[in-house]
Amino acid sequence: MAAYVVRRLLSMLVVMCLVAVVVFIVARVVPGDPAAVMLGTSATPEDVAALRARLGLDQPLLTQFGLFALQIVTGDLGESIFLNKPVLTAIAERSELTLLLATMAVMVSVAVGVPVGVISAVRRGTAVDQAVIAGAMLAASLPSFWIGLTLIRWFAVNLGWFPVSGYGEPGAGLLERMHHLVLPALALGIPNSAIITRFTRSSMLDVLTEDYVRTARAKGLPTHRVVLKHGLRNAMIPILTVVGLTLAVLIGGAIVTETVFGLPGAGNLIVSAVLRRDYPVIQGALLIISGLYVLINLVIDLLYAVVDPRIRY
Amino acid sequence: MTSLRPRLLAAASLSVALTFAGTLMTGTVLAAPTGVMTVATIGEPPSLDPMSTTADLVGTITQHVFETLYAFDANWTLKPLLAAGEPVVTDEGKVWTIPLRSGVKFHDGSAMGGEDVLASVKRWLAVSPRGKTVAAVLEEVSVVDGKALRFTLKKPFAPLGSLLAFNNGAAVMMPKAQAEAEGPLKTFIGTGPFRLVEHKPDQYIRLEAFADYASPAGEASGYAGKREAKVAELRFVPTPNAVTRLEGALSGQFLYSDALPTEMKARINGKPGVKPVVVKPFAWPFMIMNNKEGSLANATLRRAIQSALAPEDMLMAAFGDPEFFAVNGPFYGKGAALASTKGAETFGAADAAKAKVLAKGAGYKGEPIRIMTSTQYDFLYKMSLVAQQQLEDAGFKVDLQVLDWATLVQRRNDPKQWDALFTYHTFVPEPSLITIMNPAYAGWWDTPEKAAALDAFNSDANPSTRAVLWGNLQDVFFKQAPTLKIGEFYSLAATSEKVEGLNPAPWPYFWNVSVK
Repeated sequence: MAAYVVRRLLSMLVVMCLVAVVVFIVARVVPGDPAAVMLGTSATPEDVAALRARLGLDQPLLTQFGLFALQIVTGDLGESIFLNKPVLTAIAERSELTLLLATMAVMVSVAVGVPVGVISAVRRGTAVDQAVIAGAMLAASLPSFWIGLTLIRWFAVNLGWFPVSGYGEPGAGLLERMHHLVLPALALGIPNSAIITRFTRSSMLDVLTEDYVRTARAKGLPTHRVVLKHGLRNAMIPILTVVGLTLAVLIGGAIVTETVFGLPGAGNLIVSAVLRRDYPVIQGALLIISGLYVLINLVIDLLYAVVDPRIRY
Repeated sequence: MTSLRPRLLAAASLSVALTFAGTLMTGTVLAAPTGVMTVATIGEPPSLDPMSTTADLVGTITQHVFETLYAFDANWTLKPLLAAGEPVVTDEGKVWTIPLRSGVKFHDGSAMGGEDVLASVKRWLAVSPRGKTVAAVLEEVSVVDGKALRFTLKKPFAPLGSLLAFNNGAAVMMPKAQAEAEGPLKTFIGTGPFRLVEHKPDQYIRLEAFADYASPAGEASGYAGKREAKVAELRFVPTPNAVTRLEGALSGQFLYSDALPTEMKARINGKPGVKPVVVKPFAWPFMIMNNKEGSLANATLRRAIQSALAPEDMLMAAFGDPEFFAVNGPFYGKGAALASTKGAETFGAADAAKAKVLAKGAGYKGEPIRIMTSTQYDFLYKMSLVAQQQLEDAGFKVDLQVLDWATLVQRRNDPKQWDALFTYHTFVPEPSLITIMNPAYAGWWDTPEKAAALDAFNSDANPSTRAVLWGNLQDVFFKQAPTLKIGEFYSLAATSEKVEGLNPAPWPYFWNVSVK
């Protein structure tokens, strides 16, 4: 197990080096200039050139990359051009919201997706199953921004149950902040619940035809025990994989939802950084998200052994 | 036993007497500021330094914290703000002496003095795009007896007063130590009716009423006159999504939602508790042409393009509702101090046949006209689509390049990369502040006729003759067609009916505004 973990961590290092190169190139290849954005539309080319020199953006790309690589090695991702603070601090400040939102969204996805998928598998071929399949297809097809805007219209504007946007009043406590995240979590969680539903259904269908399930039924165990203990437990591996990947995707993919709901999370930070061409933030955020993605994959692989004792590394 | 009654009576009498005395001293009893005014803005400002950038959003927010020597009133005439009176202009327009107000306090409690003003102006001359315009004609700036600021210019420069009043790239006053600090501003101490309390990027900017604020005298009018912070807190909330800004206004979460697409007015109409705000004047859409390089460096070809395009069609496609635009050629309409129709007599008369003749005369042989546009501003994109069609109808070959805004802003500085671009310019009351008047600005309009007309206009501070001189400059503008001004358009905002005292303005301000 230890050797496996070390091997995976080393391969993770190689992946992260490649990511660093790609991220740097992508940020620079995209046209646009932070200096021009900072100075506004009336700035002359001379003003822009002077600010570029002050920000070090007039240096050759190789020099800029060398500096970036050196910063990564020393655990420093540089300073945001616009926020006047270290990139790591900016990302850490925004990550609380994104992690909380992703967790709540995954909870919504799991709370909806797993039971519905189980019911659909147990009632295979019935009208309930057909309805679940159609519903899952529809939910997976709806873009989260559309769901978000619809939720805002009904639950924030018409009913007034939730705020339209933001992350609470200054000094808001955890409960108030979570209240602001209910609609965004639903907007993110609903499309993902469809995916979990379909994986749960398919995995359960495989397991429910296994001999040990037939044996359990033959022993006279009640249906709920057969389905939940013998069926669901054994169907969990693919479901766990999807849940893990969903969490990873949501951490990096809540960008649109954060924009719609005006949430100052990591996704919003990335969008703003891209629009302003705040290179250190773009690079730092993408590096960290990639790292998290790789790390979550590793954790899922290790969890397999916990869920299924037959798996050994 | 001693009765308490006489003592209570004495205390009450003293209290009444003190209140009365206070009223006599201040002239009026001001109610304590109450409530929170939440304003949804189009995004996070790129900076909170109003000198260093001309971004409108920065000016909108920071004008509550920082103040200039002059301000524009409702008729766009200059009125003193931190100045004590009109500038005294001598030596044939080359020396401007500006008296300074006394009793003005900064947010750190210190009193504004001549040295603070001098240091602030020096910083403005060095870092502001507008200040640099003044620096080019400046011989010396100094303080006279600590009570007045004196500009000594190399030549007469009439726009100086307007430049000292503008709220972005602004000549704001700050303590000497802050003005002389190296690098970007790190503290934001001004003299405004609100002071900065907290800035959480992409979340909010909180300002609170400044208790020691010293208001300028006179009736409130536009950005000038009496200023009073009537709300305890002013909170700007960056909300880049326009639908979210609208829904926030409809739900009551935002008391003012800025810059909404005009088609949203239908959703605001009739909704309880919310009302639409149409901001007039607001901006001019421009199709800037490259006067320096490429096929449009040829003035005859630019005029051919001018003839090929119908501004009304472009405006209708962009805004849909005539309530939000006007097909006006002149920059300044009836009632404005600089109103003039000179040069704009044939504005809007699209004539494809004439365009073809002019293009042929210019030697046009079907070279693609590279037009940069962006979907980030939907109305500009729609205008560019109409322009593409009308130019093709007139025989031009068009290469419409749809870019994100940051790319367009970068590319426009390279004259080799484009022939025309779509942008807009927020209304400015002083023509010399229009970016395209600057020969170094993208478009590079720099001809002897323009330079002579601009020089004559900038040298004359007399209001009665400036309108004529501006007419001459406008005439050159339409004849040389360096840029096409596609009429003017207005902006839509939404505000709560709880809000009182709000005046629509291109850069909305919230002093003198209260919340019921």
